[in-house]
Amino acid sequence: MSASVGIDVRHVSKHFGTVQALNDVTLQVPRGEIFGLLGPNGSGKSTLIRILCGLLQPTGGDATVDDADVRTQGEAVRQRIGYVSQAFSLYRDLTVDENLDFFSSIYGLKGAERIERKEWAIELTHIEPYRSRLAGALSGGWKQRLALAAALMHRPRVLFLDEPTAGIDPVARRELWDLLFGLAGEGVTMFVTTHYMDEAERCGTVAYLYLSRLIVNGHPEELKKLPDVTPKGMRRVEVECREGVASLMTSARTLPYVHASTIFGTSLHLLVQENVSNQKIDEDLEAFGISSVAVRDIAPTLEDVFVRLTEVRS
Amino acid sequence: MHGFTAVFRKELTQMMRDRITMMFALAVPVFELILFGVIDMNAKNIPTIVFDQSQTQESRRLIEQFSATDYLRVLQRAHSRVELQQAIVAGHAQVAIEIPPDYARDLIGGRQAHVLVLIDGSDSTVASSALAAANGVILTHSVRDLIVEAHPVMMFNPDMRSANLLIPGLIAILLTFSGTILSAFAIVKERERGTLEQLMVTPVSPLAVVLGKILPYMGLAYGTLIIVLLLMRFLFRVPFNGSVALLLALSSVYLLALLSFGLLISSRAGSQMEAMQQAMGILLPSVLLSGYVFPLASLPFPLRLISYILPATHFIKIARGIVIRGATFADLWEPVLALLAISTVLIAVSARAFKKTVA
Repeated sequence: MSASVGIDVRHVSKHFGTVQALNDVTLQVPRGEIFGLLGPNGSGKSTLIRILCGLLQPTGGDATVDDADVRTQGEAVRQRIGYVSQAFSLYRDLTVDENLDFFSSIYGLKGAERIERKEWAIELTHIEPYRSRLAGALSGGWKQRLALAAALMHRPRVLFLDEPTAGIDPVARRELWDLLFGLAGEGVTMFVTTHYMDEAERCGTVAYLYLSRLIVNGHPEELKKLPDVTPKGMRRVEVECREGVASLMTSARTLPYVHASTIFGTSLHLLVQENVSNQKIDEDLEAFGISSVAVRDIAPTLEDVFVRLTEVRS
Repeated sequence: MHGFTAVFRKELTQMMRDRITMMFALAVPVFELILFGVIDMNAKNIPTIVFDQSQTQESRRLIEQFSATDYLRVLQRAHSRVELQQAIVAGHAQVAIEIPPDYARDLIGGRQAHVLVLIDGSDSTVASSALAAANGVILTHSVRDLIVEAHPVMMFNPDMRSANLLIPGLIAILLTFSGTILSAFAIVKERERGTLEQLMVTPVSPLAVVLGKILPYMGLAYGTLIIVLLLMRFLFRVPFNGSVALLLALSSVYLLALLSFGLLISSRAGSQMEAMQQAMGILLPSVLLSGYVFPLASLPFPLRLISYILPATHFIKIARGIVIRGATFADLWEPVLALLAISTVLIAVSARAFKKTVA
């Protein structure tokens, strides 16, 4: 095993009775990288995190986290990881300070080091002004910062974040990601699940779980170049229009060379035959009575990638 | 045992901060104790109706003697047996006494005199008090003719105060509530809020979580116990005939059984509501089948089997033994051994169940 691998998952499967939650999942996350795991609800994301945190035993396969085997070295795994769960799971009836004191002592930090690490986490997350507030009284964004602070004091080598930004406002989301980048810079490996494409774009590697299988795994830019995403003889264009984007989509779908169409704000993304020129598309759309359209070539987005790949697999 | 101190300190802070828990653990038992303490279960001043057909000095003396007991109060006079029965059916009187016309004649003539005492059996407490009082009066009244004289001596509780009987048993019941429910809640609450999962991804050992969470409640239950004992001794003046230290020591075995039962519930219940319902499942039999309400001897065989596996049954024996009879450890080895056995099984079963649920 390479010293540069933070998380190594080899053929991991998990059954709950007759239900298969994970089916032969294999992936590697290099140290200090942010790994984004995407997939619909119920596709097995949380199950995989729970296995890697040592909360669940896999039915088949092996996995190591910072070189510790999740099957046999649970204790070592737990000492090396931090975990920020989907729902806020710190103590609401304890203050910020008390929560941090509790988790620092749970992780065995003592004396001067404990004080130093606690102050470091408070400074990192800027939670100082709320120190004596009950955790339950914090807003969503501050709750996540507290959860992050609690998960970081013991210098984890790997940090698991299960939908850490679900339900927080965009500013808090951006700030949290800036924090994560800072940590990755210090060599912490990060394993993040999310539903947000903009967050996925920020990850070094993204993977997509679909019906308990990992259907794709790679750098966002590499994924966009996969043959399945833009089939041979096809290309993607964006059609910008001032009004009536919904009716434009309906009209566009009647054109014989349009294979798929999706709305993005006031514009339309089309998957079209390669040999049809932008000018021809423009003219055909104008013929539907929609004025001022501009057609230009675009690269697929990550969303295009996942939508196409799930279509191909199902 | 890594992380025990941290969990213990955290739980203590949360417990002290939670007003509902403190209320439940301290105020409710005190309230119930006062309620039970002030009510005297021995019926007194039972309304009595008399149909005196003899109308003699002898018959009037008998009626006076009935009235002289605290238990019966002669309120009405009847003029027929039908009237007596109606008074009882209507609930105006619970005891009816009929003295036949030849009562005095028989008594003077040295023949056996007969007196009819009708008792309303619809309230067993009243009925048994009335029966005892009536028997007592008749016995003393006819004592000159008896060759054998019985001298019953009521040991330990000569004035039959029900507080003396009830409170030591009540201790067991009150502790059952606070011990089982609070410890079950403590863990279910963490599961409900997801904090248990957060704990399980840290290096803390499951044993440290269980002990760290449960011991503060053990302390709280001891607090309840001491308050209840102080109230019992000084407010209700129940004499404490045995060793306080022995009772406190044996209480820990009982509390351990209750807390592990709470733990067992917590490993099965997904929510506090479920935990409450499951806890009620043991609390009700503990009240009804532990000898607290009904004497153990009066339970039919299958129910008596259940009563044997209830920790409360044995602790009530211990508490009554120590408080009322001044029993020592040697006197109580049977219930102590039974309690120890039940506790051990409960601890083992609940520890396994808990380990399974977190793993």
